[in-house]
Amino acid sequence: MTPRLEGKNISVTFGDIFRKVEAVKNVDVSLEPGQTIGIVGESGSGKSTLARVLAGIQVPTSGQVTYEGANIWQGKTSYPGQMRRKVQMVFQDPYGSLNPRMRAVHAVAEAVTFHQKVVGNDAKKIAFDLLDRMGITQKDALKLPRALSGGQRQRVSVARALSANPEVLIADEPTSAIDQSAQSQLLSLFSELIADGLSIILVSHDLGVIRYLTDRVYVMESGNFVEAGDTAQIFSNPQMEYTQKLISSIPGHITKSR
Amino acid sequence: MTNELLVDIDSVQVSVKLSRTRRLQIVDYASMQIRRGEMMGLIGESGSGKTMLCRGFIGTLERRDAYISGGKILFDGIDLAKAKSETWRAIRGKRIGYVPQSALAGPNPVLTIEAQLLETLKNDPKLDRQAARKRAMELLDIVQIRRPDIVMKQYPNQLSGGMKQRVMIACAIALQPELIVADEPTTGLDVTVQAEIMKLLKDIRSEFNTSIVLVSHDLPLINDVCDRITVMHAGATIETLPSSEIENSKHPYTIALYKSRIDLAPPRGELITIKGQPPAVGGWQEGCRFNQRCDFVTDACLVGPHPKYIQLSQDHQTACINHASISDKVGSR
Repeated sequence: MTPRLEGKNISVTFGDIFRKVEAVKNVDVSLEPGQTIGIVGESGSGKSTLARVLAGIQVPTSGQVTYEGANIWQGKTSYPGQMRRKVQMVFQDPYGSLNPRMRAVHAVAEAVTFHQKVVGNDAKKIAFDLLDRMGITQKDALKLPRALSGGQRQRVSVARALSANPEVLIADEPTSAIDQSAQSQLLSLFSELIADGLSIILVSHDLGVIRYLTDRVYVMESGNFVEAGDTAQIFSNPQMEYTQKLISSIPGHITKSR
Repeated sequence: MTNELLVDIDSVQVSVKLSRTRRLQIVDYASMQIRRGEMMGLIGESGSGKTMLCRGFIGTLERRDAYISGGKILFDGIDLAKAKSETWRAIRGKRIGYVPQSALAGPNPVLTIEAQLLETLKNDPKLDRQAARKRAMELLDIVQIRRPDIVMKQYPNQLSGGMKQRVMIACAIALQPELIVADEPTTGLDVTVQAEIMKLLKDIRSEFNTSIVLVSHDLPLINDVCDRITVMHAGATIETLPSSEIENSKHPYTIALYKSRIDLAPPRGELITIKGQPPAVGGWQEGCRFNQRCDFVTDACLVGPHPKYIQLSQDHQTACINHASISDKVGSR
């Protein structure tokens, strides 16, 4: 079976010939249909860069990304034509990723118009439905982002991404800027979406979130994968010292409760 | 840890000036006792008033156009709620240290680390310039910065987030305060760095017998490092309890917060969420402010003022009027 999304030998180098930073070094990653994978690592380990490469925002220095066997890059455009709809991304900062002058429903309707070629009140109706699915009421949908909480804003971002009916959702630290109770609401939403057949690539340094949501996990350290495998296996029996260090830094005792 | 009380916060209210005549009360009932050498965790959702309460006891409320409108904050017998600026000058930084929330924006970007530490240390009349410089090196050593001689000459943009937070902690402990207020010191830092910073705070506590107030919205973290926990919700403290007793909590909000811990859930199983949103600041309904989100709400919860603390044992206070019947109901759910 061809993987849904696959990256082979991906390297990303920043800087010029005098001062090079290798953010990602020759990594292979693959996402099977219906699977959810996690990428964990510390700040600066290259996990966000890798996510951006998979989303087609960052051009890899070498290596290639394929979506259901087809190369996503055609010249300088990534995900040409209809492919773009299949892979969508949600960003880390819920405060910076929405237009402050646009009400939530209009922000979503804009994405609906762009992706589904529906305009006006029809788009707005779809937007209300989408927001309703995210647990945002009609009343809240008419608010400006500044009147919404961090968790609500993040759900508006997810609604925007889902308006394209994607098959893969790449989420870069979706929970790190929001409260614990808002976090559990967002994660419940994600697990419902997974049950509905969406694949999620979750980038996080929060191992609790990774353990809860993913099937496979890749552990990243300074641009390399140091460990990869089934989430349950990695958490119960981490092989590498780096992974053990990450797991032991979690407040509470995740390993014990498993 | 002794039982001597260092800080006694009693029914404190904090209000913000919206205009010349309009006032908005953002904290309306906060009670908390901190003992010497104790590590107290203060937890609550965004907007619950935890940062404003902290500002109340480092005396920087005016900068947000806010003031303490009722109650008292006794710090070693001095009422901080009524303190004049001379009193504050003798306390702030010297007897109460503060570690701010945003480590990345904390240090002054145009001063070297040495200059920042000396700025704090010049408040100590016993130290001349030479001695202060030596002390600054010592402080960097205490916060476990390697090669302090190099870091002294560096600017904040040359340091990582974890190192900047260590420098801020060094500034906070420079004059050996009796109380350190750390307002979400690890938000935005990695788990590994977070674990190191927490260990550092614990070490400082045990070495200097400093009391520490750790503010966070991360319950597992607070539960792990603190002796006692105070929970805030919608401008009021609703429960104070020892962290070892977190499972015997008597307030539905604390219980829900504890149960929504992600590490207790089976992968992709049902996550317990607290339904709804926290009530808007100041727009509080009658009765207990948690009544819209509570699973155990009774008619008595819907009327009257927000409940005050009920003493359950020496270390455990709760603001739930149904506390006696809560624990049975939780078990049967």
